[in-house]
Amino acid sequence: MFRQLKARFGGPLAMAILTLLGIWLILMVTLPQLQMIDYSFRPNLLPAQRGGPEDGWTLANYVTLFNNEIHRAIFFKTLWSSVLVTLLTLAVSYPLAWYLAKVATPRQAALCLLLLIIPFWINEILRTYSWFIILAFRGPLNEVLMMLGLIERPIRFLSGDGGVMIGMVYAYILFMVFPVYNAIESLDDNQVRAARDLGAGTIRTHRRIVIPHAKPGIATGCIMTFMLAAGSYAVPALLGSPGSRWFTQIIYNWFFEGGNWNQGAAYAFLLLVLCIGFMSLVMKFFKVGLGDIAR
Amino acid sequence: MDGSVRLDEVVMRFGDFTAIERTSLEIGSGEFFSFLGPSGCGKTTLLNIISGFLAPSEGQVFIGNEPMARRAVNRRPTAMIFQNLALFPLMTVFENIEFGLEVRGVEKRKRRDTSERLLALVALEGSGPKKVTELSGGQKQRVAIARALAVEPRVLLLDEPLSALDLKLRQRMRAELKAIQRKTGITFIYITHDQGEALTMSDRVAVMSAGRIQQVADPMTLYRAPATGFVAAFVGENNRFETTVVDREGERVRLDAGTLGELAGRAGEGVSLSNGKSVALFVRPEHLRPVTPDSPGPQLDTEIEAVHFEGAWVMLETRLLASGETLRVQLGHEISRHYADALSVGQRMGFGYDPQDAVVLPDDGSPVVDEATGEVREADRQARSHV
Repeated sequence: MFRQLKARFGGPLAMAILTLLGIWLILMVTLPQLQMIDYSFRPNLLPAQRGGPEDGWTLANYVTLFNNEIHRAIFFKTLWSSVLVTLLTLAVSYPLAWYLAKVATPRQAALCLLLLIIPFWINEILRTYSWFIILAFRGPLNEVLMMLGLIERPIRFLSGDGGVMIGMVYAYILFMVFPVYNAIESLDDNQVRAARDLGAGTIRTHRRIVIPHAKPGIATGCIMTFMLAAGSYAVPALLGSPGSRWFTQIIYNWFFEGGNWNQGAAYAFLLLVLCIGFMSLVMKFFKVGLGDIAR
Repeated sequence: MDGSVRLDEVVMRFGDFTAIERTSLEIGSGEFFSFLGPSGCGKTTLLNIISGFLAPSEGQVFIGNEPMARRAVNRRPTAMIFQNLALFPLMTVFENIEFGLEVRGVEKRKRRDTSERLLALVALEGSGPKKVTELSGGQKQRVAIARALAVEPRVLLLDEPLSALDLKLRQRMRAELKAIQRKTGITFIYITHDQGEALTMSDRVAVMSAGRIQQVADPMTLYRAPATGFVAAFVGENNRFETTVVDREGERVRLDAGTLGELAGRAGEGVSLSNGKSVALFVRPEHLRPVTPDSPGPQLDTEIEAVHFEGAWVMLETRLLASGETLRVQLGHEISRHYADALSVGQRMGFGYDPQDAVVLPDDGSPVVDEATGEVREADRQARSHV
């Protein structure tokens, strides 16, 4: 890598780039993470007790999760719900990405993309709050549904996972739309035409031609959405109810309510392992490598 | 199996632009039919209308006497070979060929039998398990043909499929396409801007220009008896002279070519030629031959500007002494050897032709076709139409 950079930028600049990259990776990413891992394997002690006889490596913080039935349930619920959010986001994004890439005229596509992006200029908390208002028990959505006569009494969207799901799909849709759109865009129109010409209907054309081609984009979108969903704090905190807590909220509580950083670090590390595990699973399932995703 | 195609009063408009002027045409079952024209003449649009990718603004398409208006692309008895072939790169050769059969729910064993048979037809035995990305250009071409034939179309549509190949391969594929067409008896509709392809393979050719079919005829008629100035200029090479009619005697027309004096030609079929009417005379380079000043018939005195030795013939670029215009002359091997000493730049030479070989057509401002790109130069066309 140094040789390539040197060829392009010259020795001193290449050196500077690599040094900065190294500092960033080591000081800002690796060391804090190692510190967290170190925390997670130590008991929560008063400052005076550190280095004393009670200090030492232990798995106790990890065992907590498996002994605490509620936390365990929330851990797996977070996993399952994040998968669901990912699938929902994909279901919403794929037709949109297809429309943008292959159906819309360039003008329509540009307008559509602009409309998609503008809401993201607004802070995530504010956007999530607006969903809080929309989905409220006496909120506009319930009013409209009742006015249309579709429901007789208002629905409690905000209890249970429904509100959280809607909020997350909305919050992370761009992270799915863009990679999938890019992937579909690069498909030669004649591929689709050829499939149609050979007799394939819409579903088969997508299943056999478009989706296989867009696979790296779909995998990228799924991984990003899952990571963001599993690590999300604001959406479940605002749109969730006590019954739909997210694992990130538990981690938060250990750090800032319980004051037990060691316990929090162990939980956070478990979430990280979960995300990496999911990512490799998805990559295996879609048969794509890291290189395809980074493209 | 009736593979006839009929276009009935078809018109295609995109907004204000009329891509296809009102067109009616019948293509026989089992015919090798080509649409020949410069890029932008509407031939691909016409192909898309037949395949169903476009719905005509007016008129109807019939295949085997069945109306196609309500039939979507995937329900028509046609198969298309795309210009870029559009093979499915993530699939093997087998999967590509069998795709259409898979769609039709044909069981796996039968599918494999069909694809093996088609691979044999296109001389690609044993390539089935390969990825299409591993194949050479010519092999991909064959897979595309096999894939289209697999669905047993009544009509095969070919959209300039040879344009990506190099010259040698292109010439070999011409012969193979023709052979496959004969073997299968399927109607082939071939789109090209390459007159060599159209003339060598086709039973009949439709020459198109600016959304209009100029002439439909077998290749030889097209070459010998062009119906319009466009066809005369586009198919093969032609020297064009702007003249006026002096008088007409049967087929033979005497013409006044201004500074070039009096010329003569054969009246094009169905062309009305009243005396004094301005017309265009077309003389092909290969119909010109050296003459002496005292020989009878039309005579064109020139100075040679360039000599291109092409092996089997010599192409001369000469300048007409009287008008300064260019005259292209093609001399066969024998004749050029006989005149070897005289064929050099700066030499003066007179050329004559048999009026039987020169066609007189209405002066429709026939366009100049760019040899390299096959495109019609609009500017010339407009400039001439004001003459």
